[in-house]
Amino acid sequence: MRRFLSPFGGRESLLAAGCLASGLVFAYLSPYFATADNLFTVARNSNELLLIGLGMTLLLGVGGIDVSVGVAMGLAAIAVGRLLLAGAPPIVAALAGPIVGLALGFVTASVVVLGRIPAIVATLGLFGVYRAAIFLALGGSWLSGLPIGLTNILTANVLGAPLSLFVVAIAYLAVFVAMRFTPFGAHLLASGHSEAKARLFGVPVRRTLIAAYVVSGGLCGVAATFYVATYRNVEMTIGGSLALEAIAAVVLGGTAVTGGRLSLLGTILGVALLRLLQNGLLLVGVPSLWQTVVTGLLLLLVLGIETLGGSQLLGRVTSAFATRPARGAAR
Amino acid sequence: MTRRVSPILVILALLWLLVVAGLALLQPRVIALSTVTTVLQYSTILALVALGQALVILCGGAGIDISVGGMVSLAATAPLLFVKAGLPSLLIAPGCLLCGLALGIVNGLLVTRLRLLPLIATLATFYVYSGGAVALTAGAAQAGVPPLLLPWGRGAALGLPLPFLTLALPLFIATAVLLGWTSYGRWIYAMGFNERSARLVGIPVDRVRLIAYAASGMLAGCAALVSLAWLGSGRPNVGQDLELTSLTAAMLGGISILGGKGGVLGVLAAVLLLVTLQTGLLQLNVNSVWQVGIVGATLVLVLLIDNLALIWRTS
Repeated sequence: MRRFLSPFGGRESLLAAGCLASGLVFAYLSPYFATADNLFTVARNSNELLLIGLGMTLLLGVGGIDVSVGVAMGLAAIAVGRLLLAGAPPIVAALAGPIVGLALGFVTASVVVLGRIPAIVATLGLFGVYRAAIFLALGGSWLSGLPIGLTNILTANVLGAPLSLFVVAIAYLAVFVAMRFTPFGAHLLASGHSEAKARLFGVPVRRTLIAAYVVSGGLCGVAATFYVATYRNVEMTIGGSLALEAIAAVVLGGTAVTGGRLSLLGTILGVALLRLLQNGLLLVGVPSLWQTVVTGLLLLLVLGIETLGGSQLLGRVTSAFATRPARGAAR
Repeated sequence: MTRRVSPILVILALLWLLVVAGLALLQPRVIALSTVTTVLQYSTILALVALGQALVILCGGAGIDISVGGMVSLAATAPLLFVKAGLPSLLIAPGCLLCGLALGIVNGLLVTRLRLLPLIATLATFYVYSGGAVALTAGAAQAGVPPLLLPWGRGAALGLPLPFLTLALPLFIATAVLLGWTSYGRWIYAMGFNERSARLVGIPVDRVRLIAYAASGMLAGCAALVSLAWLGSGRPNVGQDLELTSLTAAMLGGISILGGKGGVLGVLAAVLLLVTLQTGLLQLNVNSVWQVGIVGATLVLVLLIDNLALIWRTS
């Protein structure tokens, strides 16, 4: 159950090996791939997916799902952008993202948990609603030429790394601590494993579910702030495919879609592998139109390998080179 | 098959009357036979896809087919690419169906053989299919539809469009008969209702499920064929948003997301409601992005009302 505690399970090794292998191949094929500049760009472009993926990890772990996270980020990004355009101080605009995100997370939570509609159905419905809302809020044009104040803050150097990196790291650390050292972690995994049994054991299942949706919404809001800071425009199609990408990355990372098992490290590696592949293929000259095909094939490949038992073999090979983590001690 | 009329269908009928009444009030000239033809013309593709979606969901086991839109897009473009490569253009019609069937079988094998969760398996194939359709065509609509198909795709008899009359309607009736009066249909309800018991009494659950996914693919192929015959070209984005709308139609039609409950005639009713709603909005010059929003809102609201009514009654 607490697989995420042992840092390198079979799936994580497989993903790390995948990142390394694809990195080597691309570095060989394209002289530009392995430059600090390019890898920095990949890292910067991963921020939103890392944050949304973190929320999605919690949601899948608790047995839920939310396919509206991308467009929810879009709505929050519009709020941030409009505030910036209206001349609000960057800090206020930056906070608007998480606030709108939390509110939207609460909407999802109430529809799914209180309204008792299956999560996949409800959030597909909300996906449609939010997309129409984005259209309404943008009125058919882009938000562009946003002031650079917010960008300057998030890319400001703190101890030699951009501030955004620290925000992502803190988010992951906070979730890790909550999962490891508070009852929330046990409640979440127990609810995901079996709602009925968890309820019998006195786990506040509904509260845990609501918390997961609201946290995920908040993380979408933070991602929205990052998005506006990075790209400085908000277009009509914002976030349209982000939810599916996040689900792909999280599932790649070894989190069970049926709940009860999650891996934070796996999510990070899943996002890294997706973004590295997308970047590398682009540099090698594969048209970006093929990116979605590659994402889908990658998902099938990794899940297929695991089903056919290959990952155990690979895990054994990679762990032979690493000092075995104290798996027993963590329990 | 429930003999009792599901409350969702009652809500649907009321909504439909409301929409028609609203249209009659705001745009009286819309109420005409030609509107019926238009609505049914737009309904055909969604109806075919929603039928497949309903079958997959009915089979239970967390069954869902996210890839339907991708299958329609790929089945509408791939045959045209083959024709471009030199195959005779008469093969387009069977080509669409076979392409859809093959894609559906891939889904079915992933779910039944590799035991991937349907949501994830079809999400992955959705990427591959819809991405493949766009990538193979570089996003451009493909010409080369044989003119022979167009009279069928655009014609109408008795105010009913030919694709609807000759393809969608017979398939719906056949499926309803299949579900209600054959052992295969009873198997589907049984395994959707309780898979373990179904296995124990010897129902070939995996085979039935594989057939359901294959049927969903084949129906997506039919929808692709209709789109070719109607639009006259193969568009790589023709299946866009179909996963949302087909799921909405299935849910509104009274299919339980857990499987084993609901009938396909309700799905047809739901399709007609949704398309009436969309066409009505089109007549009122409402932007098409709104249609997705309204479809989503209808889905959430109707299910909420249904659930709250249930909670209200039981408490």
